Amino acid sequence: MARIVVPGEAVSEKPAKMAYTYSDGKKTYATIISMLTDENKLIPLQGPYEPLKDDIIVGYVNDVRFAGYSIALGAPNSAFLASRNTRSTFELGNIVMARIESVDEVGTIDISEAKVLENGRIERISPVKVPRLIGKKNSMISMIADASQCKIVVGRNGFIFITNDGDGALANEAIDIVEAQAHTPGLTDRMADFLSKKCGREIKPRPQENMMEMPRSPPQRREGGYGSRPPRREHGRRKY
Amino acid sequence: MAEKPKLIKDDGKRLDGRELDELRPVAIKARVLNNADGSALVIWGKNKIVAGVYGPRECIPRHDQSPYRAVVRCRYNMAPFCSLEEHGRSGPSRRSQELSKVISEAFQNVIIAENFPKTAIDVYIDVLQSDGGTRCAALTAAAVAIADAGIPCKDLICAVAAGKIEGKIVLDLSKDEDNYGQSDNPIAFASRNDDILLYQMDGLLTREEAAEAVEMARVAAKKVHELQKKALQESFEKSGRIIFPIDEKPQKVQ
Amino acid sequence: MEVQKELKHDVVSNLLSQGKRADGRQKLQYRDIVIKKDVLENAEGSALCSIGKTQVLAGIKLDVATPYADRADEGILSTGAEFTPLGAPHFEPGPPRAEAIELARVVDRAVRSSEAIDLKKNVITPGEKVLAIYIDLWVLDHGGNLFDAALLASMAALKGTRMPKIEDGKLNRKESSGMLEVSKDVVSCTFAKIGKDFLLDPSFSEEIGSDTMVILATAGEHLCSGQKSGKGEISQKELGELIDISFEKAKELRRAIA
Repeated sequence: MARIVVPGEAVSEKPAKMAYTYSDGKKTYATIISMLTDENKLIPLQGPYEPLKDDIIVGYVNDVRFAGYSIALGAPNSAFLASRNTRSTFELGNIVMARIESVDEVGTIDISEAKVLENGRIERISPVKVPRLIGKKNSMISMIADASQCKIVVGRNGFIFITNDGDGALANEAIDIVEAQAHTPGLTDRMADFLSKKCGREIKPRPQENMMEMPRSPPQRREGGYGSRPPRREHGRRKY
Repeated sequence: MAEKPKLIKDDGKRLDGRELDELRPVAIKARVLNNADGSALVIWGKNKIVAGVYGPRECIPRHDQSPYRAVVRCRYNMAPFCSLEEHGRSGPSRRSQELSKVISEAFQNVIIAENFPKTAIDVYIDVLQSDGGTRCAALTAAAVAIADAGIPCKDLICAVAAGKIEGKIVLDLSKDEDNYGQSDNPIAFASRNDDILLYQMDGLLTREEAAEAVEMARVAAKKVHELQKKALQESFEKSGRIIFPIDEKPQKVQ
Repeated sequence: MEVQKELKHDVVSNLLSQGKRADGRQKLQYRDIVIKKDVLENAEGSALCSIGKTQVLAGIKLDVATPYADRADEGILSTGAEFTPLGAPHFEPGPPRAEAIELARVVDRAVRSSEAIDLKKNVITPGEKVLAIYIDLWVLDHGGNLFDAALLASMAALKGTRMPKIEDGKLNRKESSGMLEVSKDVVSCTFAKIGKDFLLDPSFSEEIGSDTMVILATAGEHLCSGQKSGKGEISQKELGELIDISFEKAKELRRAIA
């Protein structure tokens, strides 16, 4: 049965190559609070946003510089949108969605394909819960958008854009439910019930292909230790 | 200081009725605050300690940052109303600065900071009520808060003190036992392999006694670790509004 | 933070133009208030107040102190606030900043001017020894409207404060001589002005997006503490209306600490 494991808890009695684990040569241990699934994979339950190439992000312009724009993502480093990567101009405080072009080893993030999102606000969710909020083929998020009549854009970084039209309070409530229950089974059905009750009409999950592009595979597909950053040079550091 | 009370009663039990190797009642709760990325409350005897974690985030001031890893900064702080005696003064004391340092170092050992170069992981620990053994409870709370924030760690660590009163090695000294006792040894362990990540001691102990104290603390740390684990798991069972559970009743540790 | 302020301002006023708040509340509606009383044993009094995502803990300590020279016949009342860095990402460790000091002083004025506590009763030896009451506000979560939460927590804590026995001019904290007398329930209402609108009990976003905030504390039939906090302006007429609303809403708030 799936169970919650904590850092340092053994997840395998032999060395194994799994995301979010490490091995001391004998056993394999979890590094992060996560759900150990029946398929022996770890799905993190909490955690910071780790930017990866091709992620779709939502952020806001927090600085205008000579060569481009700095975009706040809620990650330790702001992303940079070079003027040469965009034809539009942006203003301070503009909310934008964009694609990550590249991430280097010290966390510099370059983005492109930026688009301004208008007449709305940003809400936040834990980045590890983003795949659940979107659901299989957008099933979860399209339901919430349908029920609330808001346009919603979910960034991989955990920023969610919600338009001011529609019932934003309902959208908030639904997102809070996903945040709290992301790790529990049957959430899509419960959400459908909840939204139907709130709206007084039937809300059903309707998988959609093209509502939003989410090219990134969910984090559990990443393999090879915590994250899948390229190995960096060791500077006389002790290995763990 | 008042007259030294008799710390071990005639029936062999301690002032508060505990056995020599018995912990005070403990309650641990994870995810107790809204804003912090991770948080925990530890109620340990009369100690009430809250820890909150932010990060990895931008490291300010910049000269603190490292291109190799996230810097891990813990701050141990006592609220002015935490003790039974007079109103405390604000600002870090020499004692709290020392504790901040050794607690930070324990976590620098277990946090996998290499994944987040040039950032900071800030761990803030506030002692809301103190009754002896605050640093062990503080470290235990911080470990849960760090795990709750989803920061990758090699281990979920916890700390327990053992000491000597009236010639006997005892576990988890209360404030009176610390004040009037002979020795106090706060020790933090990595649960996975029992490595020692924080060790302090004062008073006089023979080498046999010192070894006995460490072993007694190690055995008890296992029990506290189970409570930490349970707290983290339980935090995913509840949903809805977070209200700081400061009135939680601590339970006897089996 | 500056860009965030502008962004929040635009968002909140945009929603308001459609008559909405992000959490679906009415303009003059409080979030749910939860108060836990007597939550610490070492402090003589304590309470936790939670309004929405805001959580403030108040601790009361009593000490024997020398009275102020100009008020030799009165006990001491002193209020401090700590924006502990675990309370919000922008709170930094270090000595209290202007915002924390402002919070403490607004609460202090409310308790002091209302005369809810008769400080004259707290004299032990006239001119030499008096009882000092220290209120410390610990901001565990800043989710907007710290003022109302802090005052509610302070009042709930004061009302549950145990008076230690005074023996030979010293406190014996192990024995109690009854409870601290608190004669009035002081409560405050905080409004955030955004454009032409006033929002009661602002959330964090509404607070930082606001032009200015107005805090009005009332005790019975009197105002007892007020503050305009922020650079925006208010008209005389608006202030008058806010005062009326504060008296009206105070009834609701008093139930929370009763």
